[in-house]
Amino acid sequence: MASVSLKNLTKRWGSFVGVDNQSLDIADREFLVLLGPSGCGKTTTMRMIAGLEEPTAGEIWIGDQMVNDALPKDRDVAMVFQNYGLYPHMTVFNNIAYPLRVRNTPKEEITPRVQRAAEQVELTGFLDRKPKALSGGQRQRVALARAIVRTPQLFLMDEPLSNLDAKLRVSMRAELKHLSRELKITTVYVTHDQIEAMTLADRVAVMKDGVIQQLGTPDEIYNDPHNLFVAGFIGSPAMNLIEGSISDGIFKTIDGTPLVAIDAADHAHVTVGVRADDVAALEAGQGFTDAIVYAFENTGENTLLTVQCGEQRIMVRGDRHLRKEQDETIGITLDPAHLYLFDPESGLRLRETQTN
Amino acid sequence: MNSKQKKSLFRLLQVGLILLATLIMLVPILWIFLAAFKNHIDVFQLKLLFKPTLQNFLTVFEPPYYLGQKLVNSTVVAFVTVIIAIPIATMAAYSFSRFRLVGETAMLVTILATQFVPAVVIILPFFVMFRDVGLLDTRIGLILVNLAIVMPFAIWMIKGFIDGIPIDTEEAALVDGSSRLQVIRNIVLPMAAPGLLTAGIFCFIIAWNEFLFALILTNRDAVTLPIGLALFKAEEGDLWNLLSAAGIIIMLPMFTLALMIRKYFVQGMTMGAVR
Repeated sequence: MASVSLKNLTKRWGSFVGVDNQSLDIADREFLVLLGPSGCGKTTTMRMIAGLEEPTAGEIWIGDQMVNDALPKDRDVAMVFQNYGLYPHMTVFNNIAYPLRVRNTPKEEITPRVQRAAEQVELTGFLDRKPKALSGGQRQRVALARAIVRTPQLFLMDEPLSNLDAKLRVSMRAELKHLSRELKITTVYVTHDQIEAMTLADRVAVMKDGVIQQLGTPDEIYNDPHNLFVAGFIGSPAMNLIEGSISDGIFKTIDGTPLVAIDAADHAHVTVGVRADDVAALEAGQGFTDAIVYAFENTGENTLLTVQCGEQRIMVRGDRHLRKEQDETIGITLDPAHLYLFDPESGLRLRETQTN
Repeated sequence: MNSKQKKSLFRLLQVGLILLATLIMLVPILWIFLAAFKNHIDVFQLKLLFKPTLQNFLTVFEPPYYLGQKLVNSTVVAFVTVIIAIPIATMAAYSFSRFRLVGETAMLVTILATQFVPAVVIILPFFVMFRDVGLLDTRIGLILVNLAIVMPFAIWMIKGFIDGIPIDTEEAALVDGSSRLQVIRNIVLPMAAPGLLTAGIFCFIIAWNEFLFALILTNRDAVTLPIGLALFKAEEGDLWNLLSAAGIIIMLPMFTLALMIRKYFVQGMTMGAVR
């Protein structure tokens, strides 16, 4: 078990920058999630930690060792791949036993350790099968068992759930969480799925264009986004980001529709962020302003309204009994206590108000 | 006519056409097969009923034909060619598949381009060089020539199989604690085995059937089976019954290998299905 430290890590291919001078400290036993859209550098960062990719500049420390020049096999990490990376010509048992065998573990130790790893991922009945005779979820379990059979210093998981179907992903997510709390091994987990990030992580590093946009607990990332990208990326549906201006304590959209009273200094150009949950759908005339229902969606557990307010569309979450018709006029009120102000040019959060 | 009848009529037509095509392809082989068991009087008559004899198969091994020596030559040349070609081609193919080499595309295209050169064009330089170093009419000379013929083919074919192995699998093995050589031995070779076998059999067939170089570069000691066939052109005309018997001896291993290939070819094709 060990902490991990990235110091000014950079990866470039020619003029393309994969990871741009990033530093990150991961504590011992921490579950850190690298979250971001595809091509943001999260997988590259992980592959550099694993030793599968060579950094252009910077240092990688695992525990108290600088591992830049160490081969993958000498870094004492275990990795779970998106496509599982199983050995198709070996049985499940031999797949799980491979890391032990190749490290010359005494023969009599191998069987009990493989058995135990298989028990932990509930695979005991499948040890004689070849990977091709397993379902996707079972294959992913084999990959997990192969990773945990050897108590490495560090787990690396590269989108391990993204090849599974939606239902299986949810149950495997819970199993992963249970397993990680049980094993207490430092883990770096790469995903583009914000739900996975929110549910699994101790801390989340949101990445974009090779740069960590924000590093914090899931709570901080969700409730206190540092910039427009994080605000728009986290949350489902995405946060409403509305451009406009503030004068005399009123926020108006670009086309001049007053939307919310706000306790902030005047701004000629500002972006207001508000989550769908923090907008109330009321009867026409009863809200701060009126809007026309563009679409009404019932997800079962709640309802989603997309309303047209001037030229702006705003997502509103209602309770599951709410019923509205398309083109109906309703009133909406943005909760002034849960507004986020951003500078539209730099994308940075403006923290001058008392909101939040 | 209902659709079921249409279907069965179509099926009948299909089977008929396949049989016809097969017949056209197999008639020469059938002719040789029959001729090999005929005596030299019956051989020019197209009758299917005759008293079969095994005498032809004995005669070809006797003086002055000595097919036995040629059989040994062919076997040694083809086997040694494959045994040298496949390991070297595998190493080359792995490097081309997995490492970014300087001038990689140029090298690959050059290797392929050697396949386009007509054998007749390069046979003279081979002849002159071999004469100077004393490789004319030797098995070693023939093995070298055959290697030059099969290597480009083997490299390209094996590269295709290695390309089909998911890189994740190799990377998983690296992280699991293997060195690069262990990855090749424990993961790549077993997974590419059907491909290596297929390539090996193809190379064997090419070397076994090779005619032109053997014709020019050998005359007595290292003569191979295909050249041996020419022996049966005698003063009294072509000895078709002996020619056919020798032909069957040449074809037999080919048929066996073709059957093997079929099985492994399917395996080779479906390799990498597990991701």
